[in-house]
Amino acid sequence: MNQIETNPFGYAEPIWERFTHPRHVGEFPAGTPGVVTGEAGSKAARSVLRLQLRFEGGRVADVRFRAYGCPSSIAVGAWIVEWSLGKTPAELAALRAAELRQALEIADDRAHCALLGEDALRAALTGFAATS
Amino acid sequence: MIYLDYAATTPLDPRVLQIMLPLLTADGSFANPASTHGPGYKARAAVEKARAQVAALIGAEPGEIVWTSGATESNNLAIKGALEFRGVRNAHIVTSRTEHKCVLDTCRHLETQGVRVTYLKPGAEGVVSPEQVLEALTPETVLVSLMWVNNEIGVVQEVTRLAPLLRERGVLFHVDAVQAAGKLAIDLRAVPIDLLSVSAHKIYGPKGVGALYVRKKPRARLAPQMHGGGHEWGMRSGTLATHQIAGMGAAFEIAAAQLAADAEHLAGLRDLLWQRLQVLPRILRNGDPGRAAPHVLNVSFEGVEGEALRASLPGLAVSSGSACSSATQEPSYVLRALGRDDELANASLRFSLGRGTTAEQVEQAAAAVIEQVLWLRELSPIWVSDRVSGDA
Repeated sequence: MNQIETNPFGYAEPIWERFTHPRHVGEFPAGTPGVVTGEAGSKAARSVLRLQLRFEGGRVADVRFRAYGCPSSIAVGAWIVEWSLGKTPAELAALRAAELRQALEIADDRAHCALLGEDALRAALTGFAATS
Repeated sequence: MIYLDYAATTPLDPRVLQIMLPLLTADGSFANPASTHGPGYKARAAVEKARAQVAALIGAEPGEIVWTSGATESNNLAIKGALEFRGVRNAHIVTSRTEHKCVLDTCRHLETQGVRVTYLKPGAEGVVSPEQVLEALTPETVLVSLMWVNNEIGVVQEVTRLAPLLRERGVLFHVDAVQAAGKLAIDLRAVPIDLLSVSAHKIYGPKGVGALYVRKKPRARLAPQMHGGGHEWGMRSGTLATHQIAGMGAAFEIAAAQLAADAEHLAGLRDLLWQRLQVLPRILRNGDPGRAAPHVLNVSFEGVEGEALRASLPGLAVSSGSACSSATQEPSYVLRALGRDDELANASLRFSLGRGTTAEQVEQAAAAVIEQVLWLRELSPIWVSDRVSGDA
């Protein structure tokens, strides 16, 4: 990504930082052991978030994400995977959209972006439960 | 910052500013142009000079120019004025779905007063054909209102072909020429348009002033929308803003002198921009390229979300089809009328070029857009899926 240093649109700083400098973008090679995937959203709703968590010894050892949507939903994806690192499934299951909103300073009219994140994480945990 | 939003507004030409400044202060022509004393006559002379300058750009007589506060007022005066003069009872208007909001809103207002309005749907390329207009006419049709150049997609409508057909049928023709003035040759001696709206700030004049051309032969009759002292032949009361009007006149005179050079400069840069952007797969140019005004290029980018696209280009001042960038929170109704779905209308950018635009700026803008579209597609799980499935 190129150097975007300014934020003329007035996004909250935590959103802007993750939108402009997202980490862990991509996916694991097919067949990587311990990987669960969770996806939420729809193209029609103009936001899709896909999270991948690689578990090792009962904790998240590595993460990937991809997102299609507004800067807030992209930031949600980036935040969740960073936050997930080192956590157990039980700790992950405790995440609520309200916490996401607080961490990223997501405004009321973008509350759905936080719910997108919670839904994607839940979908991943459902996958984890199914494979373990 | 690279400014490519000249269709939204332009900076004041420094030469225009120099004309305007002495009309504001005690040592200049600040007097009321309606006053019957020396300073008043002097201010009046500045107003009348500007009237002639504005008329000259569009092939009109000075006495056919009515000053307004801008194109929104011009469009209101033309449409409501014509309908109210004739009487709204059983009246019918024909316009298109891709007109400026101020035309559409004025028509909607008139609908509440009992006027029937036909909103024509343009073809996929954004053009409303004269035949479509003729088919929509009824014996009650009072007025047709179409824009010369669409502000979002830059399509040039066939107003010159349509005008004589409407004249033959005795239907008034109003044209919003805000995006055409100074970009295309306009000669109202040759084209029988009855009412034509123009604005100063789109062509390096000041904001807050515009004009309505009201044909004298045959006379287009309007009911005033601003009542008061009977200024502007009773069509628009209110003390004339001498400095704004003189600024508009100066801007129009410069536009007339530079018309050919400006159009060539703008069209060259527009074509360069489109050429550069085409390295991206799956992008769509909106509007018929064969009927394109020189200064506008509107492009939809598949596979990216509109707000993210706009946010990823903070160094570029362009208009976005994204819902989140407009007051209405809806994707561009113009692009929707062309058949683009919400998603694609949302992921569209309008680049509009101006006198100050350079080839270097266009190259930088294109490079930034290409980089960010590729990045957002790379980031997207949907685009990756498409690529895996072989669609991309």
